[in-house]
Amino acid sequence: MNPDRYQHLSDTTLLENFYADKDNHWLGLLLQRYTMLLFGVCMKYLKNEDDAKDSVQQVFLKAIAELHKYKVEYFKSWIYMVAKNHCLMRLRDRHGKTPAVLNEETMVFKEEGLSVQAHIDKDRVLDAVTLAIEELSTAQKQCVTLFYLEKKSYTQIADVTGFTMMQVKSYIQNGKRNLKIVVERIIKSHE
Amino acid sequence: MNKDLLNILSTSSKDIDNQQLMDYLAGKLPEDEQHQVEMQLADSDFMKDAVEGLENVHDKKDIHFYVEQINRDLHKKLQQKKQKRQRRKLVQQRWVYAAIILILALIIAAWLMIVKYQGLKHGRV
Repeated sequence: MNPDRYQHLSDTTLLENFYADKDNHWLGLLLQRYTMLLFGVCMKYLKNEDDAKDSVQQVFLKAIAELHKYKVEYFKSWIYMVAKNHCLMRLRDRHGKTPAVLNEETMVFKEEGLSVQAHIDKDRVLDAVTLAIEELSTAQKQCVTLFYLEKKSYTQIADVTGFTMMQVKSYIQNGKRNLKIVVERIIKSHE
Repeated sequence: MNKDLLNILSTSSKDIDNQQLMDYLAGKLPEDEQHQVEMQLADSDFMKDAVEGLENVHDKKDIHFYVEQINRDLHKKLQQKKQKRQRRKLVQQRWVYAAIILILALIIAAWLMIVKYQGLKHGRV
C-alpha cells in the first residue's frame, strides 16, 4: 500500500473506486490520509497516547464496516464525526457520564462555508462584513483583524495584544462565527 | 474597501500534509506558512481538535511512530480481510466444481444405461 502513488487522487475518487469494486485497498489509502489527524482528535479527548492509538484503530474498523453498508459523501466530516463519537462513548464508559453524542442526521456533511455568499454579490457581502466587524467585542475585532487582514500568526498576535495563545485562538474562532451570524442577519434584513 | 475582509467568510480548501503539521507543531514553519496552517485551524473543527490533541503528545517525535504503527496495523487487518474473502471464494468455487463433476458423472451414467438398455433390446429381437 504505497499512498504516494495515489496522492493525486481526491478523497471522493478513492471512495468512488471503492464503491465501484468494493476493494478495501481504496479504503486503506483513504483512511491512511487521516491517521495523524484522527490520532490528534483522539488525544484531545482521551488525553492518553495508548488509548488514542487504540481508538484510531477501532475507528478504522468501524469506518470499514460502515462504508460497506452505506454511501458517504463528505468523507472528511464523516470520519471526524465517527472518531469524535467514539471518544465521547469511551469517555462515557470511563466516567459513567452521558456526553452529548453527535447525531448523524443532524450533522451537516458538507464543508463549512457561508451559504449566502454564493448567492449574493461580493460587494454586498463586503459591505455587510465591514458593518459586522464593528459589532464584535474589542478583543475579537482586534484578533480577527490582525489574523485575517494583517495575516499575523497566533504567536505574533499574542505578542502584540498580550493575550495568551488560547485566548487568541478562541477570539479568532468565536469572532469568525459571530461575524458570519451578523453578516447573515444584515443581508437578510436588506432583502 | 479591503477585499481581504471576504477571507474571513471563506473556507480554506487546501489540505495540510502531515509533514507541514509536524513542522507547525515544532514551530519550524516560516511565518506565512504558519499563518496558512492557522487559517485552516480557524476554519475546521477537525483540524483544530487534531492540533490541540497533538500538542498534548509528550514527545512530538513519537507522533510519526504512532502513525506508522496504526497504519501498519490497518494494512495487516485489510490483508487478513482480503485473505479471508479469497478463502471464502475458493470454498465456493470448490462446490461449483464438485457440482459440475457430479452432473457430468450423472450424464455419463445415464448415457451408459441407455446404451446398455438398447443393446439388450436388440439382443432380444
